[in-house]
Amino acid sequence: MNMAFKQETFRDDYTYHNSAEAIRRFPFPFAEDEYMYSVNIEQHNGGEPGSVFEHAIDVDEHYVAECEDRRIVLEDDPNRYIALPHMMDAQWDMVELVMESLSRDYPDLFQLTRDGDNWHWINQPLGIDQKFVFGDEATLPMQPCEYITRQVQGDWIILDQRDDDLFADLGMVTSQADWSMAFDAGMSFKEWHGPVPQANELGIFDRALKYLLHLQYGSPVRRLNWTMTINPRLDTSPENYPFWGPDNVSVTPDNVGDKVHLRVELQALFRLPRSNAIAFSVRGYLASINDLTTYPRWAKRLHRVLTNLHPDLSEYKGLDNYRQMVIDHLAPMDDGEELALGTQPE
Amino acid sequence: MERGYWIRSKPLYDSLVWKQKATGHVVIAQGEGGIAVLKLFQQMCPREPITLLFADDASTSKNYADIIHTLVPEGVQICDSEQAVLDKLQAQLPNYLMGTQFYVAGSEAFIWDVLAELKVYGVQDINVEKELSGTLARSVYCVHCKTTDRDVHHSIHQCSGCGRHLFVRDHFSRRLGAYMGVMVDAEEPGNIPAKEEIYP
Amino acid sequence: MSILDVKVADVEQVTEVVKHFTLVQENGEPLPHFSGGSHVVVSMNINGRIHRNPYSLMGSTANTDSYHISVRKQENSRGGSKFMHEQVKPGTRLQITYPVNLFAISKLGHRHILIAGGIGITPFMSQIADLNRLGYDYELHYAYRSPEHGAFREQLEEMCGKRVHFYIDSKGERLDIPALLKQQPLGTHVYTCGPEPMVKALHLHAENLGWPENHVHSEEFTAPPVGDEFTVELAQSGIEVTVPGDMSMLEAMEEAGAEPPFLCRGGACGRCELEVVSCDGLIMHNDHYLSDHEKAEGRSIMPCVSRAKCSKLVVNL
Repeated sequence: MNMAFKQETFRDDYTYHNSAEAIRRFPFPFAEDEYMYSVNIEQHNGGEPGSVFEHAIDVDEHYVAECEDRRIVLEDDPNRYIALPHMMDAQWDMVELVMESLSRDYPDLFQLTRDGDNWHWINQPLGIDQKFVFGDEATLPMQPCEYITRQVQGDWIILDQRDDDLFADLGMVTSQADWSMAFDAGMSFKEWHGPVPQANELGIFDRALKYLLHLQYGSPVRRLNWTMTINPRLDTSPENYPFWGPDNVSVTPDNVGDKVHLRVELQALFRLPRSNAIAFSVRGYLASINDLTTYPRWAKRLHRVLTNLHPDLSEYKGLDNYRQMVIDHLAPMDDGEELALGTQPE
Repeated sequence: MERGYWIRSKPLYDSLVWKQKATGHVVIAQGEGGIAVLKLFQQMCPREPITLLFADDASTSKNYADIIHTLVPEGVQICDSEQAVLDKLQAQLPNYLMGTQFYVAGSEAFIWDVLAELKVYGVQDINVEKELSGTLARSVYCVHCKTTDRDVHHSIHQCSGCGRHLFVRDHFSRRLGAYMGVMVDAEEPGNIPAKEEIYP
Repeated sequence: MSILDVKVADVEQVTEVVKHFTLVQENGEPLPHFSGGSHVVVSMNINGRIHRNPYSLMGSTANTDSYHISVRKQENSRGGSKFMHEQVKPGTRLQITYPVNLFAISKLGHRHILIAGGIGITPFMSQIADLNRLGYDYELHYAYRSPEHGAFREQLEEMCGKRVHFYIDSKGERLDIPALLKQQPLGTHVYTCGPEPMVKALHLHAENLGWPENHVHSEEFTAPPVGDEFTVELAQSGIEVTVPGDMSMLEAMEEAGAEPPFLCRGGACGRCELEVVSCDGLIMHNDHYLSDHEKAEGRSIMPCVSRAKCSKLVVNL
């Protein structure tokens, strides 16, 4: 794989941008003209070559810049990584999951050599060469889960399973859509899931929890979720709301195509073997409205989804300030042509 | 920024009721929690040994210690402050065995202070009887500077750590024993709604 | 569902009625890691009919070059344990599921009391490996019928040292459960696996002594009981399946080509739960998953162990 990692920022001057190839593989989430909240879980055992679903953990052109953005966030606020003391087995499970996946799926970039518990990890893009003893915390420069999640894109929340429930007892969360790991640490499945409008009434969370309690090692699953973000900012945390809040009211008809981004979360869930915990990864992909409208099919689809969106969901996702501006911007691009089912760009 | 989460994380408090199955009972209360204690002891008392730790709220003139002392003949330990109750509890906890039932009454902040002590010994909050008494004041955790302010009666609340004006979300962390406070005027600095007493 | 192809590397007669099987992956690779208390479901082809039985994984969770399971020969076996005892030899090929854990150690516990009866010792063998590795405080209490039935006693003495206590029924030794429960510090969790009366007794004593429900853990797999023949209609496909008396409803549906979900096949996990659309008779619930209330309502059935006394049961599948 030939991957040119971008030098770019997700803050201040916002130099983040997608290549044509990155737009093409963007996980556009709308297969229909109307969006309904649903659990829409599917198997995560490999996907179409080149797609974001191909590998267990997707590495793309933004890898190096995203890891750098995480480093900046942690430097400012180390509490974005939280580990409750009973999660040490799960921390090592995470080391194994990430190192095995990356070295298997991107052998040119990452190499793992194992001799019993003596592991040797090479991460070329970040220039890391680390020998350590698997299971021996003292042989790594920091806690195992912090160490490895600094080297992977997306947020990771590790859920301990007990009492027929899942508890968010370990996590690295630096690129979230307005929730706080430091605050939510230790919460049960239903405590940290807010009242997504209509979802509780439909019993969606009860069913989803039951399903996840039975998630099997070796059979990971995934789903897509989405929201919108102003500017290509990864860290839309409540912690830093004072810094990104003003952006929410900065959208004008002139800058809407450039400023408003569709933020799609690829959420994958992996059962971890030693700890019986579940790793929940939330990988965000950002594409501006201008990126998306390079494909007329997506422009039309997005126009209809936003027009038809239930007001409760619009409020819940925080789109009310600018949704109409996006709709107005997209309207001239929608000729009303009937679109077949599917998320494909063309 | 009204979006986010509410209600589901909010703990449920109920009236204290003796648990029928137990090998011992420990009641821990403070201030207005005295009323909950008096109501509890009006119920048919269990036969197993009972311990009661209580402190009046020094900041009010209301006093329950004397009447509790007369009403509850055995096992009463009156302390002169909340902190003394917590210290005493901490000292006694290693002696208690499985089968001991715990009951807590008082302000929300006190309840979660007690639960934090119990957690150290592996007692989970869901297995403890809890009654919220008197004030509805909240502890508010500022998500920006991580200061927790106790006895918050108003939304909007000005954080004592960073001075920001916080909207108090109905999102509660049992680990921190506090509600989340988020800057209310981040989008339009200076646009701060009038503060209202909503947690009397 | 992910499946592993394994080969039997060794068979050891542990007691008169218990055999210990060592399984290795056919491709020579190490097997997946697992957590203490996990089980796998073993598929057996018995005269053209597929039987699937759950067995706890024993042995070290750190070394997964091989898996270890132990099978007690059941008196009224529908074939599974008899097949394992009589037909399975070194070299036999089997298929197993990935490990599933329905009996995990509670990581918030400060002390762990393990109570085993007979073959119920098996899930504790891997739990103890984890407890030792993590340095947790625990005690094992292991009761069995007579000296010759004390499977793995020496191994346990070695693994647990002073933490293990044995109770041999034929010598009049009895585990006094209430006395044991009464002397435990706060934060203790108790776990049991063994004959149904023992599991029930533990739950009852713990409840009476004021132990919170979530500090009491048990694992019980039920073998599907035999019963009367009945017909199941799968509402979504309209397929009708006859369930013979000596087959479980889940097995009959699978043989008819349906692919209902399952995990433990012992009535414990709830994965195979099916919605009952209608039933013109009685549902015979045999699982440990549904509450008494849910069983009385009759809106769900666990086809791995439960069946019906009726002429037709319609389920949403």
